[in-house]
Order: sequence, then C-alpha cells, then structure tokens
Amino acid sequence: MAVQELSLDVALHIKYWHRCLKNVLPTGYTSMDSSRMTLGFFILSALDLLGAGAETFPEDERANIKDWILKCQHPDGGFCGSPNHKYPDAAYVDVGHGKQTMDPANLPATYFAIMGLSFVGSLDGVRRDDCLRWIKGLQREDGSFGEFITQDGVIQGGTDMRISYAAMAIRWILKGDYDSSKEDGADIDVDQLVKYIRSGQTYDGGIGESSRHEAHAGYTYCAIASLKLANRLSKSKDSEPISGLTNVDSTIRWLVSRQTGYTTESDEEEEGDAEHAPAVKLQGIYTEEPAHEDEEFVGFNGRCNKRADTCYAFWVGAAINMLCQEKVELLDIPAIRRFLFEQTQHRIGGFGKCPGDPPDIYHSYLALAALATMKEPDLKPLDAALCVSIQQKEKIEQVRKAALV
Amino acid sequence: MGKYEGDPVWDDVVPIPQDDGEGALAAIAYTDEYAEAMGYLRAVMAAKEYSPRVLDLTEHIISMNAAHYTVWLYRASTLLALNSSIPVELEWVNNVALDNQKNYQIWHHRQILIDHLYDSMSSDPAALKSLAESEVAFMTEMFNEDSKNYHVWSYRQWVVRKLDLFDKGEIECIETLLRQDVRNNSAWSHRFFVVFSNPKYCTPGSKATEYDPKIPGEILDREIEFAKAATFEAPQNQSPWNYLRGVLKKGGRKLSSLECFAGEFVKIPEVGEEDIKSSHALDFLADVWAQKGENEKADKALTLLGDKYDRIRKNYWDWRRTSLK
Repeated sequence: MAVQELSLDVALHIKYWHRCLKNVLPTGYTSMDSSRMTLGFFILSALDLLGAGAETFPEDERANIKDWILKCQHPDGGFCGSPNHKYPDAAYVDVGHGKQTMDPANLPATYFAIMGLSFVGSLDGVRRDDCLRWIKGLQREDGSFGEFITQDGVIQGGTDMRISYAAMAIRWILKGDYDSSKEDGADIDVDQLVKYIRSGQTYDGGIGESSRHEAHAGYTYCAIASLKLANRLSKSKDSEPISGLTNVDSTIRWLVSRQTGYTTESDEEEEGDAEHAPAVKLQGIYTEEPAHEDEEFVGFNGRCNKRADTCYAFWVGAAINMLCQEKVELLDIPAIRRFLFEQTQHRIGGFGKCPGDPPDIYHSYLALAALATMKEPDLKPLDAALCVSIQQKEKIEQVRKAALV
Repeated sequence: MGKYEGDPVWDDVVPIPQDDGEGALAAIAYTDEYAEAMGYLRAVMAAKEYSPRVLDLTEHIISMNAAHYTVWLYRASTLLALNSSIPVELEWVNNVALDNQKNYQIWHHRQILIDHLYDSMSSDPAALKSLAESEVAFMTEMFNEDSKNYHVWSYRQWVVRKLDLFDKGEIECIETLLRQDVRNNSAWSHRFFVVFSNPKYCTPGSKATEYDPKIPGEILDREIEFAKAATFEAPQNQSPWNYLRGVLKKGGRKLSSLECFAGEFVKIPEVGEEDIKSSHALDFLADVWAQKGENEKADKALTLLGDKYDRIRKNYWDWRRTSLK
C-alpha cells in the first residue's frame, strides 16, 4: 500500500456536522427520539473539537439552543431526553393530589443536557441543588445508579457502569471532585460507588455490567472515567500506570487485546458473515496460526472475538489514556489512524460503524473523540474522562468556580 | 385525519402535542403517525389511565420507537392493573425482541413479567420447570439470530439466578453454543458465571477475580480440561486462554501448574527457528516465567511477541519487558 500522509479534512467534517445541526434528521432516527439530548451534545461537541464550536454561531442561535435544552429540564431536577418526554408546565402543578412527576427526568439525558448548555451559554439555568438532590436519590444501596425515579419513588432503569458514569460526570460539573458525603449528607455515597465499580471486574480483566457479565469496552471506559471524575484513580508515582481498579495490569492486558488486525482481502470473503467463526475442526488439529505478517488494518473490538467497530477506538483509547496518564503509549496509534481514516471515514464526512457503513452521529463523534485523545493535530486535545475538549473542560471549571463563590 | 383523531374510541382524549420550540437540536422527521400517537400517550400518562386501549396505544408506539424509556414501564403498570394475561404478553414481547435485537428496555419489561409469573407459581415446581424451559427456548431463538447479544446474556444470568438453573442443563446449553462457535466469548463468560457462582458450592458474594477456597477440586479440574481442549481446537482463540487464567485464580492455583500444557504450543530451541502455535500461549508462558523469576526466558517470549507473533501490540509487549527488571 502506498505510504501517504493521512490528515483530517477539517472542512469536510465541519460540513457534515453543520448538516446534522441545521437539517432535520431522517425518520430513521425515530428510535433515538428519547436520546435527542445525546445527539445534540455530540453535534455541539464535535463542532467544538473541529474549531467551529457554538462560539462561532450567531448569538440568537445559541440563545435558542439554550432555551430548547432548558425547556427539557424537569421540575423535580434533572432533564428529559427529548421534548417528547416533557409536558406543558401546568401539568406538573400540585392540584391537591401531590406533586406530579409525569414522565420523569433521565440521568444520562441530564449529563448530555448540562454538557450541551456548557457549549451554548452558561449553566445558570440548571437548578443545581434540585439536580444534585435528584441524583442522590438515584443511587441504590449497592452504590450503583438507576436512570430515573417513578412517581411512586421507585428507582428504575439499568444498573450498569454507563449510568454511574453519567452521575459522576454531572456531579463533577456541578460540584467538582470534592467528597462531601460525610459532611452534609447531600452528596452521593462515593465510597459505595467506588466499591461497586471495583466489584465489576471480570475474570479476564475487563469490566462488565457486573463481574458476572462479559467484559465490554464501553463499560470498562465508563468505570475508569467514573473513578477519574471522583478523583479515585490513584496518583501515579512515576511512569507506572496504577489505579483504583481491582487489578489494573489485567485491565490493561484486556484493553490492549481489543486491537484486532485484519486484511481487506479476507474481510471481503467474509462479507455479511464477518462475525462467523470458521468451522470447528476435530480436536487436536490446529486450524490457525498467529500472524507473522503485518496485518493491513488494525481496528478495535468491544469484546473478545468480535469485529472491529469505530466507537471502540474511543472507549479503549480513552480508557488506556486515563490508566497510563499519558506517560506510556501502549497502543499502535498510526494503525488506529489508518483504520479510522481509510476504513470507516466516509467521503461525505463523518464516520460509520464498520468499514463501508454510512456515517452516523454516534460513530462520527466517537471517531473524532478517539483521534482527539491521541492528539490529532487538527483537533482540539480531548479530556478522556469528560469526553470533551480540554478547553471546554477548563471553561466548565471556571463556570463552576464562579457559581460556587 | 389521524388514526386516533378519527377513532371514536379515543373521542374523549385531548392529545398533548410536543413543544419543540425554535432552537431544537437533533430534530427528527417524525412521521405524522408517530407524532399523533405520542400526543395521545402523553395525554393518557397525564391522566394515569390504565385501560385496554392504553395497551393498544403503547404497542403502537413501541412498534415505532422501542427505545422510549418510559412507555414500557407504563405498559407494564397497565398490564398489572388490568390483570392481563402474562403469557399472551410474553408471546408479543418475543416478537418485538426478535425485531429489535439491540433494544434493552424489552428485557427489563420481560423481567417484570417473569417476576410476576414467578410469584404466582412459586409453590408449583412443575409450572416453574416449564417456565424455565420456555425461557431457555426463547433465548435459543434469540441466539440463533445473534449468539453474542449482550442484553440476552444479561437476561439469561438473571433467569439462571431467579429460577435456580445452576445445573447440568445450563452447562450443556453453553457447550452446544461453543460447539457452534468456540470463539463465542459471551458463552465462555456465561460458563464462568454458572460454574463459579453456583450457590451449591461457591462462597456467596465471591468476586470473579477472587480465590474461592470452597470450589471443589474436581470442578476446577473439569473446567481446566474443558478449556484446554478448546485451545487445542483453535490455539489462537483468546477466550479459553483467558478462561484458564480465571479458573486458576478462582482455585488458588499457580499459572505455572499449566506450564507444560502451554509449552505444547511453544517450542523455543537453543539454536534454530522457534515454533509458535499460539501467541496467547507465549503470553501465558511469559507470565509463568516472570513469576518464577526466569526473566531472561520471559524477556525472550515478550520480544518474540512484539517482533513476530503479535506485532500489532508491540508497544504493549515492549512495555511489559521494561517491567520485568
């Protein structure tokens, strides 16, 4: 293959994201209607990484976006994932039957809403105390978090690391990493959360929905980033990557194992059947050998023996970045860049899930985030734990400082 | 005229339209059908109406947006309020799950249904047995579509614990899946769960990464033999190599107890070309040798991995070499 300098076509990608910002998304996105805050965050943050963030929008456009996000704020604290979950204000008023929850706020949606607001204005419209109190109410006894609380006070939704991550990120934005649970009782129980995360490590070193489940790169990232945002990833003495995980060496082994090499010839042969294993031969017969030759492309999978997918370049790359504190480079960055640029980048801008796929908002954002974690020259550098540019993170810190004074 | 607007059954309901305003992010080209149905859903949820027509409405919305995070709970509350037939609901849910492979909410809904059924039959062993059989049969159908579906495997763990299926049958199911695809890491993970969380002999609450002194030796031996056989079948399959490490940890056994076995895949003569059948065996031996203080041999293994047998992880193997000293 010809050796050529790969670089990001910034103008092309800005064009892709402007289309996502200005155009109505196709009907096929209806199944993501409850996650519009998430999509909105990806759009605003992608443009920020590309240097065309909300500060370049006309002022009234920023104000309108801010109003739209705030309109999804729930009277009980937190945000809904889309206006489809939000009722006219009058519906929530207590008319003698107690306070009406209607459709409750959602924890991941709240993280994306607050992040979105940080791009288009200030956080002064967020009802901070209500939000933090609501999050505390979402924590279960085992330390994990649910997604929402129903009218009758039941914590609902999954238990996995993604939700804990959303809780920790919101807490970091609104109050920093200072642990005040012992002082006023208004904070979440950080010790219990750390215990819960530490118990999520699986026998092969990754982290799953729990230690009994299969390890998954998305959950592994969320667990590590949660510890980071709680300031519970231990400080390193020198270049040794150490952390608050149960066994960090095995986590690193598991993470680097997510790099998966392939050649495009064999990929074509397996088209449509890429996850299928070769037929099982008789015991004792070797059906394959380790690779001696360089494989043409190196992508990342999210679980052992799965196929490469764009988004895992971020989940794995960012997790390693946090564990190694950027002092050692354990991944093959040129290979990852080649995978993203030559295999999943689309000619109209954006990135698809797998080679040849059309671009979508989720994979397009995580590809940029992965590149930014690895210090892609044309992108703003990324904060791996918060998944926004370091510049944006600093902006949030300033806003928080001003609010707490 | 919309489906609901023109239907006399819905005459008494005033839909609550969605208010998107001007700065809408990620606006979606909703179909009129979806927008109308959502307006009626908001109205019935506001009125806390639990009626048969709500079941029809929620079914309609789920067919267009199965990832709506509260419509499922509202449907479950309605079903229970109406005392509707759970088996009929399960049959419908089966089809929705088959059509929405990536959806998570369906499985939570299913848990609510099974919890409810379980309470009504907990003193009837025959009924419980048949419930377990039908759940396993449905999951087999799901695995025929995607044998690594994370939601289905999560649900399966829940069923195993709820209905106490830590038995031979469950292990046989896993072996069937592994015979179809020995690289199915989800099946390997499930096996680890079933074997090392079995309340009959495991220490309650013992973590996946912890030594559990209560695991009988013959179970450890059986698991080691099973994983060994799979490595002979496909030496470059990482799943059984990870499994072996996990079993040794659970059993408090040393990695070096499998040095000879791993050596079957790795021949490094004093002179001449080495013969490596599995990079994972080489990695395994590097750890064995490092633990035994044979750093020179460990270093050689790590060098071979980085330079020849697993070049895509060269940075990692080099870093491991620096930590030997």
